[in-house]
Amino acid sequence: MAGIGFELRKILKKNTLLSIFEAYGLAGVVSSGPWVLSIVALMVIGVLSIGKVSEDVVVVQFLVIVTYLMAGSLILSGLFQLMLTRFIADQFYSKNEEAVTPNLLGCMVVSSLLALIVGGGVLSFSALAPVIKVTILTAFIVLCNLWLIIIFLSGMKQYYRILSTLVAGYGIMIIGSLVFSSFGLGGLLGVFAVSQALITFVFLFFVLRYFPSKKLVAFDFLNPNKIFVSLILCGVIYNVGVWIDKFCFWMTPVLNVQVIDIFYASFIYDLPIFLAYLAIIPGMAVFMLHMETDFAQSCENFYKTVREGGTLKTIYKLKEKMMEDCQNSIYQIFKVQGITLALLLLWAKDILQALGIDAAYLHLLYVDLVGVSLQVLVMAILNVMFYLDKRHQALALVTCIVVTNFVFTQVSIYLGPAFYGYGFTLAMLVTTLLGLVQLNIQFKSLEYQTFMLQK
Amino acid sequence: MNKSKGTDICLLLEGTYPYVRGGVSSWVHQIIKGLPEYSFYLVFLGGEEGSYKEMAYELPDNVVGIEVNYLLKKTKKFKPSPRRGNHDAFNLWEEILTYFQESKFPIPNTLLQNIIDNLSVNKKVSIEDFLYSEASWQVVTSVYEKYGDNQSFVDFFWTFRNIYSPLFELAKIVRNLPECKVFHSISTGYAGFLGALCKLKTNRPYILTEHGIYTKERKIDLSQASWIPNRHSALDASIHKKIELTRGTWIRFFEQLGITAYHQADKIIALYEGNRQRQITDGAPENKTNVIVNGINYDQFVEAYSLRPLSPPKVVGLIGRVVPIKDIKTFIRAMRVAINNDPNLEGWVIGPADEDLAYFEECKSLVESLSLKQNIKFLGMQSVKDILSKLGVVILTSISEAQPLVLLEAMAAGIPCIATEVGSCREIIHGMSDEDKALGACGEIVQIAAPNVAANAINRILSNDSNWQQMGDIGRIRVRTYYVESMMYESYRSLYKEGVLWQE
Repeated sequence: MAGIGFELRKILKKNTLLSIFEAYGLAGVVSSGPWVLSIVALMVIGVLSIGKVSEDVVVVQFLVIVTYLMAGSLILSGLFQLMLTRFIADQFYSKNEEAVTPNLLGCMVVSSLLALIVGGGVLSFSALAPVIKVTILTAFIVLCNLWLIIIFLSGMKQYYRILSTLVAGYGIMIIGSLVFSSFGLGGLLGVFAVSQALITFVFLFFVLRYFPSKKLVAFDFLNPNKIFVSLILCGVIYNVGVWIDKFCFWMTPVLNVQVIDIFYASFIYDLPIFLAYLAIIPGMAVFMLHMETDFAQSCENFYKTVREGGTLKTIYKLKEKMMEDCQNSIYQIFKVQGITLALLLLWAKDILQALGIDAAYLHLLYVDLVGVSLQVLVMAILNVMFYLDKRHQALALVTCIVVTNFVFTQVSIYLGPAFYGYGFTLAMLVTTLLGLVQLNIQFKSLEYQTFMLQK
Repeated sequence: MNKSKGTDICLLLEGTYPYVRGGVSSWVHQIIKGLPEYSFYLVFLGGEEGSYKEMAYELPDNVVGIEVNYLLKKTKKFKPSPRRGNHDAFNLWEEILTYFQESKFPIPNTLLQNIIDNLSVNKKVSIEDFLYSEASWQVVTSVYEKYGDNQSFVDFFWTFRNIYSPLFELAKIVRNLPECKVFHSISTGYAGFLGALCKLKTNRPYILTEHGIYTKERKIDLSQASWIPNRHSALDASIHKKIELTRGTWIRFFEQLGITAYHQADKIIALYEGNRQRQITDGAPENKTNVIVNGINYDQFVEAYSLRPLSPPKVVGLIGRVVPIKDIKTFIRAMRVAINNDPNLEGWVIGPADEDLAYFEECKSLVESLSLKQNIKFLGMQSVKDILSKLGVVILTSISEAQPLVLLEAMAAGIPCIATEVGSCREIIHGMSDEDKALGACGEIVQIAAPNVAANAINRILSNDSNWQQMGDIGRIRVRTYYVESMMYESYRSLYKEGVLWQE
């Protein structure tokens, strides 16, 4: 992700109010990316479609299926995301840029096959019409690939192109869904799959043009000597961890509704939390801006000095600097996300009203807003750990997310509606605190670990 | 010999006999074979595992056992894992390390005992804890702060690891050694330090024989070493300092190994007086030092002497490997000058040329460019005693020697010698003691890298038949009186006897 750092720093150097907004805006979009934009697009589709075209039921079915697609594809591509990121970073470090494209394509082959098997397997339990099944499967495979390509975008300095692609893609999705809504569920899903595919292939085109190669496909990233099992696990477990509370609600009788076939939803839980996810955009922007500029730079300085023969004093000093930058980054995220949170808490009622959502959701929205804000901090902490190459500690942290999120959510379900949402939020709180404690320990013994435990 | 249990002599051999050929190895082989009444146990110290495949010598029957140890263990075998480490044990370890950093005084017995008791012991100072523990990290940083002199920490760190890891192997070796009555190391360095540890652990006599001067040789190696990290551009002014600091750390380490070995040894033997003086300067207590010269099998050369012609053959022989240390090029240049005065002269280089092929090529092209192709021959390995009678004079142009046996062999065959002023050459040619000196000179001493001087000496020696014969005879008498193999055996026999019988 170092690429974006340089670009953002360049924008910030202009040092005007506008340039600051520009940098934050860009960072916000790129960091929260298609995932948040998808939510926005889907909400727009929802709001626009309801009552106008087709029946409300179809729109709800569409939204629920898409939610499952998102969850499933994020978890499945979690297998490769961190591992591929690391592999690519290593290739850059060893000046082997030619390996980038073939390995991306190799990874896309592997994840497509996997998505086909998993998706096909799950859908074989459903009694949906074959056309719908094929469309869902297509969208699933496309999404799995999209999440992989996204990794490369942040490394390229073409943010406006990325932005316009996303806007165009989701624009097409919204317009298409209005135009083809008469085709029912199949039409909406078709439009979704096509517009995601469009975004995916345009991005792929950018990547291919940016990283030329002599080979088409390579599977070096699966080389047992280069693979990091801990990163594979981290990626999957993290995504399972942040989705598991939703699955809990979908799977709990009484709280769930069978929307269509094998797809269940929990209306009471889903809407507030997806709404809340929109609130992380400012936090993610700050996260990207500070982590990928100041912290990334001081981290690089530290390791460079270690490698290239600095004195112990300099090494100590650079570590202090790195700790300061880390502290500052986390503090900035905390501050901005805190302000966002405060404002949203104040306006939550009005927002719900404006969107025409029942005020009964208000309390749950409050809790979820806190939860997702904490999730930004967790992401920041994990990011620091990856910079410090503390893969096993990161694994422990994501495992903490899964376990606490599952346990606390189950407890909250048992305790009753007044406690819904607290499971997720408490899980994020515990993980954040644990992560901060871990970071503290890691920084304290960083020189010892760097020198004495190197392989 | 002695009926009580245990082997008589434990030989501590670093990178030599029985795996590596060379002067020292031949000597060890000679001693073992020459003293069949003693049983020997060999402790071989090698560098990296796998570098020593086959023995270069057939072990005599009185070798009752051999163990092969590698000092540079591949640490990859261990998996780095965080650990605290025993802070008390590591504090003592740090105290030991300060001796290696300062190297003025030998390591005191209590700390040496600590090495024997704690190093490579779990929960004390195990190699894993040395490599990975927090306690060890504290020692590294504290030593760096005291002695690091603001050098590149990463270089310091690796030097630190590499330099001290072998001590862990030495501690294991000394703990597992079978019972022996006398310990005898054939160098200082790691073998000498092992000798010091053995001495302290068993309280048995420890003899230290040095052929070259180990610490000095390591210093020469280090001054030529290219493996010392050179991670900055040549333009960086600090680079020189950095290399010097790493080099300095190694040199002090070897100095400490040496001085501790000298301190613990009961007898310190040099090959010749010059080296004995050097040992004393390096910290060997004078009263322990002694000279035992190498001897040759005199009888083998009786025939060569009987074949010696009345007037000198016009052949100058250099018996030695074709390597830079023998400075073959100076020999070639000297021949050019000598041949200018006496066109019938020939120069023979007798010895293997395959050790340094690049140097061999350089020598051959020098021969060509000086138009000496007719006069200079590279003969490869030859039987020395058969070829001696065909030579008029034997020459050594080496820039470094200890006690060259080829001179003694030439002298035994009655051939005059020319040698550079290195090692014990002067003692060999002009005599050691006053009595010895009174015999006269059996050749000439010349400066190193002085072809004109050497050429004059060649011409002079070969120009007068009666002088030539007389010089040769003086050499023969000198060898018979002072450099006969049996005298060397006798000296070591009595040293060993004293040690084996020694009771607390």
